Amino acid sequence: MRRGSTRRTVLVTLLMLLPGLAGFFGLFFYPMMVTVVRSLRPEREQVGWTLEHYIRFFAEPRARDVIVLTFVLSIGATLLSVLFSILLCLVLRRKPRGNRFYRLTMLIPRVVPGLIGALGLLLLFGSRGWVNLFLLKFVPFVNEPVTINYTIPGLIIFYFWLYFPFTAVTTLSTLEALDPAIEEAAGVAGANRWQTLRYVVIPLIMPGILAGSVLTFMAAFGAFSIPLIAGGNYRPLSVEIYRQINFTPARWSAASARAMIMALLQVAFLTIYMRILRRPTA
Amino acid sequence: MSDPMIELRGVTKRYGDVLANDNVTLKIQRGELMTLLGPSGCGKTTALRCITGHNVPDEGEVWIEGRNVTSVPTHKRELGMVFQNFALFPHMTVFDNVEFPLMIRRMDKRERRERVMEALRLIRMEQYEKHYPREVSGGQQQRVGLARALVYRPKVLLLDEPLSNLDAKLREEMRFEIRDLIDRLGITAVYVTHDQAEALALSDRVAVMSAGHIEQVGTPDEIYDYPQSRFVADFIGLSDFVEAAVISLDSAGEMVTVQAKGLEILISGRRNMSPGQSVLLFVRPNDVELLPASSEAGTNVFLGEVEKMTYLGDRNDYRIVLGDGLRLRVQTDGKVRFNECERVKVYLPPALCRVILE
Amino acid sequence: MTLVRQYLRSLLNARKLLLSTFLLCFALMIYTPFLIIVFRSIGRGWFGRLWLPPEYTLDWYQWAIEVTDIVGITKNTLIIAALAVIMATLIGIPTGWAFGRRRIPGKELLMSMILLPRMIPPIAYALGVAQIFYRLQLIDTHFGVALAHVAVCAPYAILVLSATFEGLDERVLEAASVCGAGTLRSFFHVVLPLIFPGILSSMIFTFTTSYNEFTLTLMTYGKDTTTLPVRTYLAIGEGYWEVTSAMSILLIIPSLLVLFLIQRQVAPEKLVGGFKGV
Repeated sequence: MRRGSTRRTVLVTLLMLLPGLAGFFGLFFYPMMVTVVRSLRPEREQVGWTLEHYIRFFAEPRARDVIVLTFVLSIGATLLSVLFSILLCLVLRRKPRGNRFYRLTMLIPRVVPGLIGALGLLLLFGSRGWVNLFLLKFVPFVNEPVTINYTIPGLIIFYFWLYFPFTAVTTLSTLEALDPAIEEAAGVAGANRWQTLRYVVIPLIMPGILAGSVLTFMAAFGAFSIPLIAGGNYRPLSVEIYRQINFTPARWSAASARAMIMALLQVAFLTIYMRILRRPTA
Repeated sequence: MSDPMIELRGVTKRYGDVLANDNVTLKIQRGELMTLLGPSGCGKTTALRCITGHNVPDEGEVWIEGRNVTSVPTHKRELGMVFQNFALFPHMTVFDNVEFPLMIRRMDKRERRERVMEALRLIRMEQYEKHYPREVSGGQQQRVGLARALVYRPKVLLLDEPLSNLDAKLREEMRFEIRDLIDRLGITAVYVTHDQAEALALSDRVAVMSAGHIEQVGTPDEIYDYPQSRFVADFIGLSDFVEAAVISLDSAGEMVTVQAKGLEILISGRRNMSPGQSVLLFVRPNDVELLPASSEAGTNVFLGEVEKMTYLGDRNDYRIVLGDGLRLRVQTDGKVRFNECERVKVYLPPALCRVILE
Repeated sequence: MTLVRQYLRSLLNARKLLLSTFLLCFALMIYTPFLIIVFRSIGRGWFGRLWLPPEYTLDWYQWAIEVTDIVGITKNTLIIAALAVIMATLIGIPTGWAFGRRRIPGKELLMSMILLPRMIPPIAYALGVAQIFYRLQLIDTHFGVALAHVAVCAPYAILVLSATFEGLDERVLEAASVCGAGTLRSFFHVVLPLIFPGILSSMIFTFTTSYNEFTLTLMTYGKDTTTLPVRTYLAIGEGYWEVTSAMSILLIIPSLLVLFLIQRQVAPEKLVGGFKGV
């Protein structure tokens, strides 16, 4: 290729990448930088550096509660997602009747606005909702409506409902990519269904499950609209951030500091996710 | 005649509209290596999977060692199996792979280790015990598969096209290793392949299958020399087919004269043939002899012309036209070569021209 | 022996029953929240412990449309979504072309970078966006909100379009020029029809994303640019479940329509994450 045209190709490529890069920097990177800077400035000042917002955050006992709460919700939702996804995917991979329908259903929580899902769940689990009606009618020892909304277990259920598809989708695709001959070999060698699952299938799909569960975890960790309307008095980190700017006067620096903490934690999780993906799959 | 080790009784299996196994009946004797041979889609793998239990037949029964195992799940059948794509557990080492069946059987640790090392020695891979399947070659993976299948000393070994994923040279080596191993352990084996050379080289008996049913069962010699259908004659080795009509029989009824395309050919016949009957002859291209055109005339010596000649290195492959347009494929060794358009005498040894009864 | 088979078959059927029940419960789990919203939105006098409302009415929808200016809000949502789609597609096409057709060092890294705005919860950088927009006076403008949406819409567009361009076989273009088509002709008659499905796909994805976007809108909206998600949120705060339910149904219908359109074209799994590379 002539030298001139290679240079031209490079130039054209760069030009084509420009809008994307501009968008990335302008709408994501620069705002993130603004947040970083803001988090290090004294409230409502334009100059001077300080770590007070971070220090103050970690010093408050409330801060620990917030972080613990965020982790509890995320981990709880992720564990539920993993268990449920394994069951669901083991059932779905045999392509039972209505298989396409169920696979589509699996995606519903991700394609519908989270707010609506949360609203529906609030109504469903409310004291007059169908869940309580069911419990009152069919479960013998329940005589009063059970409070599920605005509790931590309730929130975990909500998070699970919204974010399990991440785990389910990757688990299903890993499961289906498994060579059936391997399971047959285990069967011939004498392993029954459970033993095959335990010694062969689960270990082999673990990377897929992990990858999906990290996605679930990250989504749950950063969930905002759900705890905003369904968290009640429980405020995970994302809601805490928003709360800071709802004070009068708005505490932008405090909010930014919390946002930075959250962003750093998310980047850490993201790195773990990438690490899992890179690991040579069996 | 002792009880067969494995028996398929009228096994029928359908997949939707396709009849994969049609009333398949087969007896496999203790200690023999039976090969199911046939083209893709003939039902050989389906039949094998009925023996393993991966397929449940729609009709018919599977008996192993005198027990009806038709409804016994795979993991209780105590069989060993080797797969085409090896199917080793990728997340376990070679040692763990071979140990797996023993672990399932709750053998104690020390004994497990002994057995596994014994198996690894048998396949000459002791030094690879800590390797993972992806770290060893295809041939080695298949050997590990063998070890895993044999470590718990099953009475029956099933092999589903075990050599198809290996290159040609390795295939030949492995063929003898497998046969050797099976002989040493005295195990009954069922082997599935589409490669007839493999089947003829390895087996005690061969069951040739086509379109869901068994065409013929016999020793490699029987299959090769006395195919009972056109399919078998065609599938095993090369064949020339000649449609002919019976003219006369000799007094003993063993040699028969038939007529085809203006030629009178003497062939080895069968007892109940009658003049006027149409028959299908077959002869192997490398049983036909070519002589120079100036050779003496004689029974079954016909004048013909070389239509096409292909040089194959160790052999020459000819297409010869005789009589009223009878075309025969002939293969001879490379020593004497006849060229295209050359006239040549063709000799069909009567004993090697056989009749196929359809 | 046939008895054994009969027994086993009934066991198998029992398992099938168990599985069917499990799957049924799963379907219920996903769909009942929406079902209950629907009933709430058309029920009258649904107090106390009733499974279904005693009477049905469309009053709530009427109220939603009249009192909460749903028409205006829908207009806002659609304008913003349209702007976001245009901007995201304008970004997506050249970037997708570059990723799909040119060798770029560290492409995987760049791809991961592009997806970062979707991996990091928007609330983290929405703060920065809000502050910048305040300074630039972009708050409460359709353009501003749409611009904020681009941060989460563009990654989708880029992803879909780079796959589209990657799938564009060079040889088809060569064949076109051999047949005699000049650059402009081949663009309109060959390239465009081939990439059109991809562009359509990405537009649909982008539209849905912007339509449903809440967090970024919350940080950049004002009284003139209230969108359906934000208004729904405010309604939930006001506590009138019936009206909120009606609004939610109105909000959700376009999403569902789009979902049905998409699921025939694109593997829906792509919507969910687990993209290659990240």
